[in-house]
Amino acid sequence: MTRAQKRAARAQSAAQIIPPEGVPLTLPIAGVGVRIAAQFTDIFITGAFALSILILLGMLGLTGVSALGGLAALLFFVIRIPYYVLSELAWNGQTIGKRMLKIKVVSHTGGPLTTHALVLRNIMKEAEVFLPGTLVLTLDQNTQIASWISFLWIMMALAIPFLNPHRMRLGDMLAGTHVVHLPQPILLADLARAKPDPAVSDQKGFVFLSHQLDHYGRFELQTLESFLRAQQQPGNSASHKQRRETLAAIVERIRKKIGFAQAVPPADHLAFLQAFYNAQRGHLEQRQLFGDRRHDKHYSTKDTPGE
Amino acid sequence: MVDNATLIRSARFRQEREADWLRLEGLVMKAEKSGAQTLQFDEARDLASLYRQATTSLAIAREISLDKALLAYLEALAARAYLSVYAPQERLGGVFGRFFATSAPQAMRRSALYIALGFLCMGLGALVGYLLYMESADWYYVFMPPGLADGRGPEASTASLLAVIYDTDPQAAGLGAFATFLFSHNTRIAIFVFGLGVFACLPAILLTFYNGLIFGSFYALHVDRGIGWDLGGWLSVHGVTELSAICIACGGGLQLGAAVLFPGQYSRKEALRLAGKDAVKLALVAALMLLVAALLEGFARQLVQDRTTRYVIGWGVGLLWLAWFTLGGRRKT
Repeated sequence: MTRAQKRAARAQSAAQIIPPEGVPLTLPIAGVGVRIAAQFTDIFITGAFALSILILLGMLGLTGVSALGGLAALLFFVIRIPYYVLSELAWNGQTIGKRMLKIKVVSHTGGPLTTHALVLRNIMKEAEVFLPGTLVLTLDQNTQIASWISFLWIMMALAIPFLNPHRMRLGDMLAGTHVVHLPQPILLADLARAKPDPAVSDQKGFVFLSHQLDHYGRFELQTLESFLRAQQQPGNSASHKQRRETLAAIVERIRKKIGFAQAVPPADHLAFLQAFYNAQRGHLEQRQLFGDRRHDKHYSTKDTPGE
Repeated sequence: MVDNATLIRSARFRQEREADWLRLEGLVMKAEKSGAQTLQFDEARDLASLYRQATTSLAIAREISLDKALLAYLEALAARAYLSVYAPQERLGGVFGRFFATSAPQAMRRSALYIALGFLCMGLGALVGYLLYMESADWYYVFMPPGLADGRGPEASTASLLAVIYDTDPQAAGLGAFATFLFSHNTRIAIFVFGLGVFACLPAILLTFYNGLIFGSFYALHVDRGIGWDLGGWLSVHGVTELSAICIACGGGLQLGAAVLFPGQYSRKEALRLAGKDAVKLALVAALMLLVAALLEGFARQLVQDRTTRYVIGWGVGLLWLAWFTLGGRRKT
């Protein structure tokens, strides 16, 4: 197994969550970049809110200029912590920034998110990033050591997500959560039920024999599926010509491989592939029911066909 | 349309269930968009049962279907439905109510030993600081950071020390002062004490002890001048709450550190996670107490100039905290 394959396998197993129903679900792990983007959105929102309150206080004359800096820091702090906890509680693991970027906090073990977990991961965020961040930003000649320590601390806190497959930061580890992309359910039409093209519907159907369907496995079938779905997209005239050529090449290739003697006229190319897809899928699914999973066309050369 | 008999098995499987999936998708989108509380009774019921059907469909489809698009759709649908079925079903009022009424005082009682350790560290520090100052006033300069002393040292006159204690300058009270006090020395100490506890307790103990040293020598300075009672009143107003908050934060930190040092039968990560349950509540209580302390320091201390009243306010608030911790969340038997 190559390194890239290993990494892909690890990412795939990390993305699995087992809910109480016991059927593993795939929730792709959100990367560090998208989480930082969501974080900046949230900082911007809370910052703007704190600023408007500060301006209001200033206009009412409740605060002097000297206390402005301390008051600003306090407001930002007091608004920020409840904002994260309450919005993640109310919107099931999403703040406004996370909603905009379609990512979400989920429980690592597959259960529901608890209040405790949300409070913990957001308080740890303060300790990980914001407090030392404030120290670094208020760099001072007298407190250089403190600044360097907090700088190193932030670097460490930011490096941790890169070192585990779930991209968990310290707070996530303590709270038992991680952040995922929201999957988008899009139901495409079933290819096996696609209407035959009216222009060729009067043609007699293509018939494939069982031994002709023994050449391909799941990978080839699903590649063919992607290709057929792409054919349904409208294209311009330049791509149309190219498509016809690809179609013809594929049909020739399949005919040669499976030994399909009957010639297929160019007008029927798509119908032929459609029919072949149906037959091949029915055949492979039936083999699978009998415990004969065929991953790709090399299935018969492998030692363990059941794998 | 192709008739039913010629369809392959997985296509029939899909045809039979497609309507349910689409209904589930609609329900999930509705619940996500406007909250699960807007669902009608039958919609909420269907959401739960359709979700379970969809997970079953997914499990079957993984076995019998080779349709990539269908598998991707079912994966995404089941995942989305899972997220909205297992959403936290709590009202915000309930969360706050439970924290104040039961879970916070219970956590305080469970970790009474660690908190007592925190108080012990601080008390020992204060005692050592006091005795050392009485031995030689030079120790004061060793312990006290110059920024914190604010000109109050062995070289200052008794009158100037008293002037700080009974300060009637109206500028020093109000919102600005409140903010400054909250971000003052003690809050930073409390945060560090809690956070550093993870590193095997030692930094938390040292920092609390050191804080006690500062307090002890500061107090000794005033006792030396014969104004110990006045300083006591000045400190009591907020100090009872604030120093207790530091000790409680220290207790939380010690709890985390103890989990790292003595994980028992769990792995260290698991032990830390379990200890975190109470430690976080301790941290929240400490934060609340610091907030109250800053309020007292910003407003009450400047408005109340009488020594006895200051003692009454400070220790009265302290008693209220104690009552909350010892009496709150006890189940009636």
